[in-house]
Amino acid sequence: MVQQPAPPADDHVWAAFETEALPHADRLFRLALWFEGSRQEAEDLVQETMMQALQSFHRFRTGTNCRAWLVTILQHVRSNRRRARQRSPLVEDPDNRMANTIPFVAPVPDTLTDEDILGALGRLPVLFQEVIMLSDVEELTYKEIADALAIPLGTVMSRLHRGRALLRSELGASKAGIGNRRL
Amino acid sequence: MECRDLREMADSFLAEELLTETNHEILRHLETCRACRADVAARRAVREGIRRAVQNASSLDPRPEFIAQLRTYLANEARHLPVRRGIRFRGWWALAATVLLAVALGLAYQGRDWIAERGALARAAVGDHLNCALHFRLAERPIELEEAAHRYGAAYRVLENLPPNDVMTAVGLAHVLERHACVYEGRRFAHIVFEYRGQRVSLLVAEIDGGVQLALPGEALPHVTSAGRIADISVVSFRASRHMVFFAGDVPQADLRALADAVAEPLYRGLVGA
Repeated sequence: MVQQPAPPADDHVWAAFETEALPHADRLFRLALWFEGSRQEAEDLVQETMMQALQSFHRFRTGTNCRAWLVTILQHVRSNRRRARQRSPLVEDPDNRMANTIPFVAPVPDTLTDEDILGALGRLPVLFQEVIMLSDVEELTYKEIADALAIPLGTVMSRLHRGRALLRSELGASKAGIGNRRL
Repeated sequence: MECRDLREMADSFLAEELLTETNHEILRHLETCRACRADVAARRAVREGIRRAVQNASSLDPRPEFIAQLRTYLANEARHLPVRRGIRFRGWWALAATVLLAVALGLAYQGRDWIAERGALARAAVGDHLNCALHFRLAERPIELEEAAHRYGAAYRVLENLPPNDVMTAVGLAHVLERHACVYEGRRFAHIVFEYRGQRVSLLVAEIDGGVQLALPGEALPHVTSAGRIADISVVSFRASRHMVFFAGDVPQADLRALADAVAEPLYRGLVGA
């Protein structure tokens, strides 16, 4: 006898989740892969993120930015995994460390390839990559980025400012043949 | 507006994060300043270039079958989700009744306003579980237990190693995902998040306001003195001297009790000795 799967506990939850959240899985994966650098890690991360989102979906407020909500969960899962892998020691605040090390910002070259941009972005410290990716690629507001990364709004703004200055510098350097490719 | 001011705000302008009045000032300046127009155009080009480059990068594409497999997995998991009908407090009376019974039996009762305080703590513990472990919406960033121990007391240090990362209970394995100290509605908790019975379950320890050191007789061990549901979340708790220990999660009450039973003794001894 073929065993029938159990009926859904609440069809409406799954239907709403499938409509609201699931379409973002593709972009969530790209973000996860960018940060993790490993397909296996990225797939695990997205699966856990989506599973937690499904379990918490009754708390998602319809009409708010679902992608931002998913990115917040993804960042939290990433943070937990980092902590689980190794007790994260308190490190020097890179915001402070980088404050005085941003070099002169060269003019951005007129002709930039996707490879130039990805390479330059990949050479930035991860903290700056995070805010730039969430702002420019995921199009999250500063407030949504602050929530996702659990950092103050002012920190988001200062990291974006410094990160973009560094990025422009890297883009100038990449055209001059300096720097290492990431992708 | 000076050029330097505009350069400071250019990225926020492009991100549409500025007030309308400031936007108008910037637009007025751009009408007359060629250098700033070029600067804003270059910034816009980089932003758009990043978006385009990441979205077009085939190296970041998921495997075609991954999204399909993910959908199948989630659809299957959705069948086992509990039916929800919004936030309810149906279990609160059971929790309150159990607390009252415990008090009536003389279990760990000491101090004024004890019932109200424990009720408020229980609600804060559930709020922390929902907003930290599940919903990731805390106003204040969690800190390491080591740092909390340095700032707030030795009890936090106890939680760095207790319970161990893997706890075998009578109904299954509980694995620690996270340990930290966090604040919810003004209450500071040592917070340990487990993966247990397919759910995130929290162990939260809070100091009782004005709590006195309880000297339990001899080798007395903690009893689970209250159990119930708050906001659809199962809650189990016991007292360890000046601290309340809560277990909260969307799992059956019996499963939560099994976890509490498995970790209560060493945790109790550690907290009493802290």
